Amino acid sequence: MARHKSRPVEEQGEPEMEISSMIDCCFLLLIYFLVATSLVSEKKLDVNIPGKPASGGAPPPVEPGRIQVAANGSVTWNDDMPVGDAYDPSAQPGTDAYRAQRNLEQLVEVLKTLKEQAQAVDTEPIVMVNGDPTTPHQRIVDVMAALAEADIHTVGLNTTASE
Amino acid sequence: MGKKKSRPVEEVNGNPNMSPMIDCCFLLLIFFVVNATALTVSKDPSINMPSAVSCSELKDANGCIVVNIFADAEKMAPNALKKYQQTYKRSGVVWGVADSTDPSGSRGFSMEETQGLTDYISKQKEFYKNKNLDEKAIRIYLRGDMDAPWERTAAAIRCAAAAGVSNMVFGTLPARN
Repeated sequence: MARHKSRPVEEQGEPEMEISSMIDCCFLLLIYFLVATSLVSEKKLDVNIPGKPASGGAPPPVEPGRIQVAANGSVTWNDDMPVGDAYDPSAQPGTDAYRAQRNLEQLVEVLKTLKEQAQAVDTEPIVMVNGDPTTPHQRIVDVMAALAEADIHTVGLNTTASE
Repeated sequence: MGKKKSRPVEEVNGNPNMSPMIDCCFLLLIFFVVNATALTVSKDPSINMPSAVSCSELKDANGCIVVNIFADAEKMAPNALKKYQQTYKRSGVVWGVADSTDPSGSRGFSMEETQGLTDYISKQKEFYKNKNLDEKAIRIYLRGDMDAPWERTAAAIRCAAAAGVSNMVFGTLPARN
């Protein structure tokens, strides 16, 4: 009986895994998240809403400050001191009008004074913001930015300015 | 002079070693995935964000309950309005929140549906509490449109207070002076 000739075994190298497609996917995901995180550059302004004080409790050592924002966006401190002009939505970034609207400098000054007064008696200042119901959200954010600049984070909010 | 015998050249595999590069790539990928956070899914593109000076970086989005606050339809840009209409399919929606049970991924509330918003915030608060998150870390992330009337933001804050959340975060963009 003829002996079967064994076929020559193909030369086998080191077993390798095809990883190029995985690297492609990986790079795509990387680029996606890289772009997604860098494009969304939202920032934040922290505000803590104080709870209701207990009835009959001692009044706060420092009189809470009152900020009123009228329907046209003008800002008043403690009912009688104007600290911000009317809001102009057409002001373009880079202009003086835009800068003046975003930086409520007079308001920041009075808030810093309130903060110092409160710190002198070892307490945190409280500020009430009364916004007209029709005031644009942007104007309230300007006021919140001024509060953040003065390092005041305990803010009472309501919508009774026009009442 | 005897001829020098050339040394046999060691054969080197020409393939570059990819493993360190893949390791780095994965590390970067994980970093960006974690940084992107779940917050991005709740951000409604119909919102024209307000800008503010002295705003700070939102470092940890864990515990943020996002409430989008819309402006009136006539104040929205055409693209934003189209997206808003496609998402909510009804008029009068002033607050938008993420909702995985809805096919659109979002749920809208009108000014009359304050109870619905309060219930949603309570539910989210319970969800984060069950994840052993500190109560102080549970915050309302208010993404208000710059033209939205203040009464909508104030009403959303009242809903949050009714649900027992007193920490608010106003979403802004940095002001371009």
